[in-house]
Amino acid sequence: MRTLTLLLLVTLLAACATVSTQKMESGDRSLGERMVVNLDAAWNKVALPNTGPAQTWTMEGLPVDQLLIYSGVKDGEVIHGTVFGSKLKSFAFRSAMQPDEIVAMFEGMLTRDGSAFKLVKLEPSSFGGAKGLRFEYSVIRKVDNVRLSGVGYASVNGGELFAMVYSAPQLGFFPRHQANVQQIAQSARISLKPGGGMGEGTRKPAAAQPEPACRTQAECRALGINQK
Amino acid sequence: MPARFSRPDIGTDEGGLWAMMDREETRLRRSPFNLRDPQLQAHVQEMACRLAGEHCPDIRVHLVRTPYFNASMAPNGMMQVWSGLMLRADNEAQLAAVLGHEIGHYLARHSVERLRDAKSRTAFGQFLGMFGVVGLIGQMGVIASMFAYSREHERAADRIGAILMQQAGYDLTEAPKVWANLLLEANARPGGRERNPLFATHPAQEDRQAALAELAAKFQGGVANDAEWQARIQPHLRDWLNEEVKRGQHEESLAFLNRASGRAMGKPDYLCARGEVYRLRGGETDLQAALDDFRAAAALGNEPPETHRGLGMIYRQQKRGAEAKASFDRYLELAPQAPDVLMIRSYLEELRA
Amino acid sequence: MRANHPGLIFALLFVPAIAFAQVPNVAPGFTTLPKGAKVAIMPSDIELFSISGGGVAEPRADWTEAANRHFKAALEKKKQALALNTVEVSEKDADELAELNALHAAVARAIATHHFGPPSLHLPTKDGKLDWSLGESVQAIKKATGADYALFSWVRDSYLSAERQAAMAAVAVLSLGRVVAVGGAQQTGYASLVDLDTGRVLWFNRLQRGTGDLREADKAAETLEVLLDKFPVAQQPGAKASAPTSGRCPSGFTIMECRARGYQ
Repeated sequence: MRTLTLLLLVTLLAACATVSTQKMESGDRSLGERMVVNLDAAWNKVALPNTGPAQTWTMEGLPVDQLLIYSGVKDGEVIHGTVFGSKLKSFAFRSAMQPDEIVAMFEGMLTRDGSAFKLVKLEPSSFGGAKGLRFEYSVIRKVDNVRLSGVGYASVNGGELFAMVYSAPQLGFFPRHQANVQQIAQSARISLKPGGGMGEGTRKPAAAQPEPACRTQAECRALGINQK
Repeated sequence: MPARFSRPDIGTDEGGLWAMMDREETRLRRSPFNLRDPQLQAHVQEMACRLAGEHCPDIRVHLVRTPYFNASMAPNGMMQVWSGLMLRADNEAQLAAVLGHEIGHYLARHSVERLRDAKSRTAFGQFLGMFGVVGLIGQMGVIASMFAYSREHERAADRIGAILMQQAGYDLTEAPKVWANLLLEANARPGGRERNPLFATHPAQEDRQAALAELAAKFQGGVANDAEWQARIQPHLRDWLNEEVKRGQHEESLAFLNRASGRAMGKPDYLCARGEVYRLRGGETDLQAALDDFRAAAALGNEPPETHRGLGMIYRQQKRGAEAKASFDRYLELAPQAPDVLMIRSYLEELRA
Repeated sequence: MRANHPGLIFALLFVPAIAFAQVPNVAPGFTTLPKGAKVAIMPSDIELFSISGGGVAEPRADWTEAANRHFKAALEKKKQALALNTVEVSEKDADELAELNALHAAVARAIATHHFGPPSLHLPTKDGKLDWSLGESVQAIKKATGADYALFSWVRDSYLSAERQAAMAAVAVLSLGRVVAVGGAQQTGYASLVDLDTGRVLWFNRLQRGTGDLREADKAAETLEVLLDKFPVAQQPGAKASAPTSGRCPSGFTIMECRARGYQ
């Protein structure tokens, strides 16, 4: 455990107002414009500022388990949030991504903080009624050395990404909630559009853009950068 | 060479740092990021020992799985060597240059001076991150120990390190190469090396390269031990290369791999890795470059199975069905237990249809 | 994992000492330890810092070392007062049990954040209950120690240096009281009791306040009292309440904390 810097504390206090937790009751739940899931058991959805396009759900609390749900991520969209002046690489979805590239994208996201990732299984699957993939992985979390197990489901339809990625400690927690997560994944239904499926479409390589040092006015000011 | 250090009084700021480092070392020992390879650890420990002379008993080497170039030495004698560094060193002399440099900081007690300097700055975590395993690279502004000291300190550590290297019998001309190689990689990043989370916001480090080259000119002889070092890292090479590729920093990886593919040992592994980077980057000429690399790796023999998967992926994309099928078959033959066999089999199904 | 928010997750332990509504300290259905139950004392994780003039938290080995000593002594005394049957976990065993220790620390953060933290972070599915379990893998601790329960503790404590106090006072004065400099001294931590058969967290006590002092024996004992407040042991018949009831309630305690100690 590390003592935090003043900066993070101030960040927290500023963000406090926009944090909330909502119960996701069992039954049908719509996620975004095009996806619906049916929950057997209730979950908790935690809304945090600046965390990218995914919803974050949890059963035991964020330090323990996280279910990231992506519904309709567009071509070129970064799949995670960004931190003050971060020089870390961003990972964005591209519509023409092949299955292994989609997994590499999630792997990149999960290892941005120095955590170690290992792919355990990758297989074709359907998710939400669209052609997709399912993968299993393990992560060693950098900040506290906890070993996590994980499972991910993803599909692409109409050029947009739909996915669920669940991580929980390999001891106790992942086995406990795994079936629950699988149930949600299998219940998912996407309102399908013709075309734009996984691996289809012309590949456009990502242009080698330098990541901006700051994204919002507040961030730029904090770093002493004059925004143009 | 100063005399061996004794444990500072617990009431001093240095004492506080020392005790914190002891606790960090315990965490490191228990951490899954601790690279538990007794032979490799013993070898690097022995190198550090020879470099440190009479300070040898005070130094404890820990190898850490992290795909970045760094080594650090805490005031309590805990030395960390990251896998990214071991991957990038062409030979023992280059590794010795870095270890000697860190020992230089230790002998000159720069870390304590830096602690006192950090008092006036807000980010203590930044300082601690230099020595800790825990550290959100780039996010909390953690700066790898190698680049975190002042210019004067770095120059001093370079000088001391060079002397130690030379006394231990290593070829000094390898030392400036370490910096040259690193700069090549860092400059390759789009937006320049200022975007690299490992570099402190200090001005150009090219002068260090020049200073070391000057020193090297004065001393002749010494060994580099290319073959020995490359043989030592061979058991870990594929894992480390995979971690490097997955960082997603294509330009930096290419700068490194362009150099490393010239090594005598492990060529097929470096070529396969470079092919993967090209394939993942997917630029206009990249797919052809990837094909060239994968084919070259396969031609050498002893290529990683992923070579054929890479070929298969590209052929599949280019609608070259027969070639894709052949490559995927070869991949499954070489790696029947690979995590993605089911996915590859589904591709084969599609190709058959 | 939401890699870009671990800072936020850690930060939540440093929310200033606001008294949120009382939530239960014990798991549903649990009241007290059975008589003679053996408790493994996991190595405490205590760090003390000094906050310098510039707001930098500097680790203080002498304070930490003293704190560990005082904590241990106070724990020893408390053990006797509660007639607890304990066993220490050796450093070597701790090496082997590192993964479970790390797991517990993550669960403790979850409890501190989502159970004892602000209502906006409470998890509706937990229904306000202290309902967390590490699972049966904790039996490895039972195997190593022969204990039926394990006590974990963690404390982070920072103290303002003289320059820092002056700086903060200056800020307050210059802003005519409008700006409260963040980053003052904090004592934060937890103690947790885990069932070594099921892995259930049976009892969890959260420490979060701007006072307290682990650097000296008597004051460290007080911190331990607060940390182990209402540790679930059956009171011996005829035993007096452990808290003193004479004198004024020490400053820095909330009204609830004072009453818990038997002050009026």
